[in-house]
Amino acid sequence: MTNGDTTEPLLAAHQLVKAHGRTPALRGASVELRAGEILAVTGASGSGKSTLLHCLAGIVRPDGGSVTYAGQRLDRLPEKRLSELRRTDFGVVFQFGQLIPELTALDNVALPLMLAGAGRAEARARAAEWLERFGVLGQEDLRPGEMSGGQAQRAALARALVTGPKAVFADEPTGALDSLAGEQVMTALAHTAREAGTAVLLVTHDAQVAAYADREIQLRDGVVAPAEVTA
Amino acid sequence: MSSMSTRHILLGLLASGPSHGYDLKRRHDERFPQARPLAYGQVYTTLQRLVRDGLAEVEGTESDGGPERTAYRTTEEGTRELTRWAAQIAPPAPFVTNEIFAKVVVSILSGGDPAAYLRAQRAAHMARMRELTAVKTAPGADLATVLSADYALNHLDADLRWMTTTAARLTTLTAEVDAA
Amino acid sequence: MSTVSSPAARSSVRSDARLARELLRGSDRREWWRIGLTAAGAALATGFALAAVVLASLRGGHDFSVGHGLLDAPGTRAGVVSGLLLLLVPVLGFLGQCARIGAVHRDRRLAGLRLAGATPWQVRRIAALETGLACLLGSAVTTVFSVLLLLRLWSRPSGAAWAGVALVAVGVPVLGALAGVLALRRVVASPLGRVRRVRPESGRGPRLLFLGALPVVAVTGTLAVAGTGTGSGGRDHWQGPLAVFGLVIAVGAGAVWLAGATARFVGGLLAVRARSAATLIAAARLYDDPWAPARTHAAVLLVTVTGTVFLCVRHALLTELRAMEHPAADMSYYTTGLDLTGAAILVALAITLSGLAVGTAESLATRRRTLAAQAAAGVPRTVLNRALLLETALPLAPALLLAGAGGLAVGTWYSALTGDASLPWAALLVAPGVYASCLLAAATALPLLSRSVRPGELRYA
Repeated sequence: MTNGDTTEPLLAAHQLVKAHGRTPALRGASVELRAGEILAVTGASGSGKSTLLHCLAGIVRPDGGSVTYAGQRLDRLPEKRLSELRRTDFGVVFQFGQLIPELTALDNVALPLMLAGAGRAEARARAAEWLERFGVLGQEDLRPGEMSGGQAQRAALARALVTGPKAVFADEPTGALDSLAGEQVMTALAHTAREAGTAVLLVTHDAQVAAYADREIQLRDGVVAPAEVTA
Repeated sequence: MSSMSTRHILLGLLASGPSHGYDLKRRHDERFPQARPLAYGQVYTTLQRLVRDGLAEVEGTESDGGPERTAYRTTEEGTRELTRWAAQIAPPAPFVTNEIFAKVVVSILSGGDPAAYLRAQRAAHMARMRELTAVKTAPGADLATVLSADYALNHLDADLRWMTTTAARLTTLTAEVDAA
Repeated sequence: MSTVSSPAARSSVRSDARLARELLRGSDRREWWRIGLTAAGAALATGFALAAVVLASLRGGHDFSVGHGLLDAPGTRAGVVSGLLLLLVPVLGFLGQCARIGAVHRDRRLAGLRLAGATPWQVRRIAALETGLACLLGSAVTTVFSVLLLLRLWSRPSGAAWAGVALVAVGVPVLGALAGVLALRRVVASPLGRVRRVRPESGRGPRLLFLGALPVVAVTGTLAVAGTGTGSGGRDHWQGPLAVFGLVIAVGAGAVWLAGATARFVGGLLAVRARSAATLIAAARLYDDPWAPARTHAAVLLVTVTGTVFLCVRHALLTELRAMEHPAADMSYYTTGLDLTGAAILVALAITLSGLAVGTAESLATRRRTLAAQAAAGVPRTVLNRALLLETALPLAPALLLAGAGGLAVGTWYSALTGDASLPWAALLVAPGVYASCLLAAATALPLLSRSVRPGELRYA
């Protein structure tokens, strides 16, 4: 919004079409995510928000349209490459499920680093730094089920950001939290993303959460609603 | 905030000790960061009314080089009035003066585009919410700032929810307004 | 009973049945899997039990066209009957494993019924109907075929045989229904209780059972041995069976305990030292809930011990028989007996492996959302696959080593008693063979894993 529209977008989706069975989820949605920006995607339930996030993050292949990331067509990459890209360049935060319940918070955050080839000790040391950054230090040996929802979600943020991704995809990251815990999670996410220059695609139905973003698009029945000129 | 509560807020600020008008305005704006800033003239007239009603009195005048400044202090009756007011509950939204709703209805009556108006209003609300969020999450923001921003954010959010449900029911509303 | 209450009772059972049917129709597909596999397990159990009961109903010597004379004499017939009854153990283990399929959904469904105002009894009846009918289906199919077979082999079965058949045909569904009610006691007690995450079981049950059974074995075993020494008559016959029964319980519970304890030990050891992501995930899961796979793994251990011992005993017996100039009976009389035992062990292994595959599949199905989220976060499919296999491979390696060694020790002891103390090389291969087949059984769940990690799973809360 502020840094002009001249910069090449980090991630661009053009005319995305996707149906779940016979139910259409996306019907020609186009969106651009610029490097370092926080973009909120809002809309009613069933408007296609999550599907849009899945398509952009390379989790789901669209039925039609294109997704371009750093010059490559994500919708045409083989699954193995996509998985690698999601591991190295992207981070994901869901409402829940992204932490493995049997692993401690520290091991959960260390896992992406181990997958990237780091040794266990090194991975755990770097994971501890990230947990400290999100205020979860002192609870690193707890499992997700033993932590409060807010702490677990902040650990999930640490897991998403620990590899230094270019973009983080957050799907209702505060959906299961009370407003205070949600505020802490959002503040942590917005701060860290801005500090690290990470772009964030934030799917939410909550206007107060969307207000953490630099910009907002609204989905209506699978397409992006036309932007209104702010008076 | 109505002028009625400006009286009590100034009385409250005076409760911590005598103070003059400019000082009161500065402390008010500091303490209530997201409220509309007080005009100096408003502070002056309110103080005079407080003196007239016996709730405050003049402490003295001083002028060290600059213009003359009058310091005020609260009276015993002023303290009593402040205690009474602070304990009294605020009436929960006694009158709903909803400008947005009025505009939607007028827009329907005059054959305008209420949906477009609601979308534009929503965008304006979101822009203000982003500003407030930026204020409250700025590094070093004190709790008073955070809380007052939260208060405003929650009210704007309530407006937004109302606008969303209204936008979804515009067809029914239009039929109802047109039929009447 | 009273003519007043019976129509009401009948209509309430009928309405429960209708409710159960409606609930099932709208339920998860995995619940159909549970019902199908439960019916299959019940069919198997009925088959073994029917054969055992019919054989047990025979008195004295007979002349059978099947079994190379093994079924003719009461002594060997008793051995066959106990073998068939022992085969019920893995079948029951398999049924227990099947009860876990979709259990979370079933519990949630029934807890929902309780919340909607159903009485505990209604919920119990519905659950009992569900499991009982599945078992009835299985037992009915087997009973029909068994009776047809029985009539061909034995033109005029005795009354005792018929009574036994009827008892088994009715008993299996009734026991199934009772087990269903028992499994639901917590849901019925608190409608909200089981909606939350199920806490891992503790190892205290099997340990207590093991320690409790040991003195029983010791006392009855001593008495039985003393009894045979004095050669007293029928009065003391109960000690022998009781000792065997105690031994079975002690060995079974001990195996469960061993399996759980190894899983916990290996998990704890590797969770700290794991260097790869797959090992870390598998070890942490083992450490978190070592008792979940313990029952199946225990059955694997028992089969391994039995198989190893069997091969040693077979080797020793055959060596001895060949050395004899004039064996008491035809050689095929002995080999048939041994082959039948071997076949029974193989059947037990097959049932155990099915239980293992079902258990692995179920553990995948219950955590498919976490798995989908891992895949979405870019955890490679190969890592998830490896973690799944390691969950079976890690705890079974030391446990099977112990079981194989234990089996060899018993086998060596036996052959030392009887003769030259030589060991068949095949006995050495039992443990590795079982290990490999366990990994293969676990690997059958891999296709389900790739279906579980579909991002579509991310959409359901």
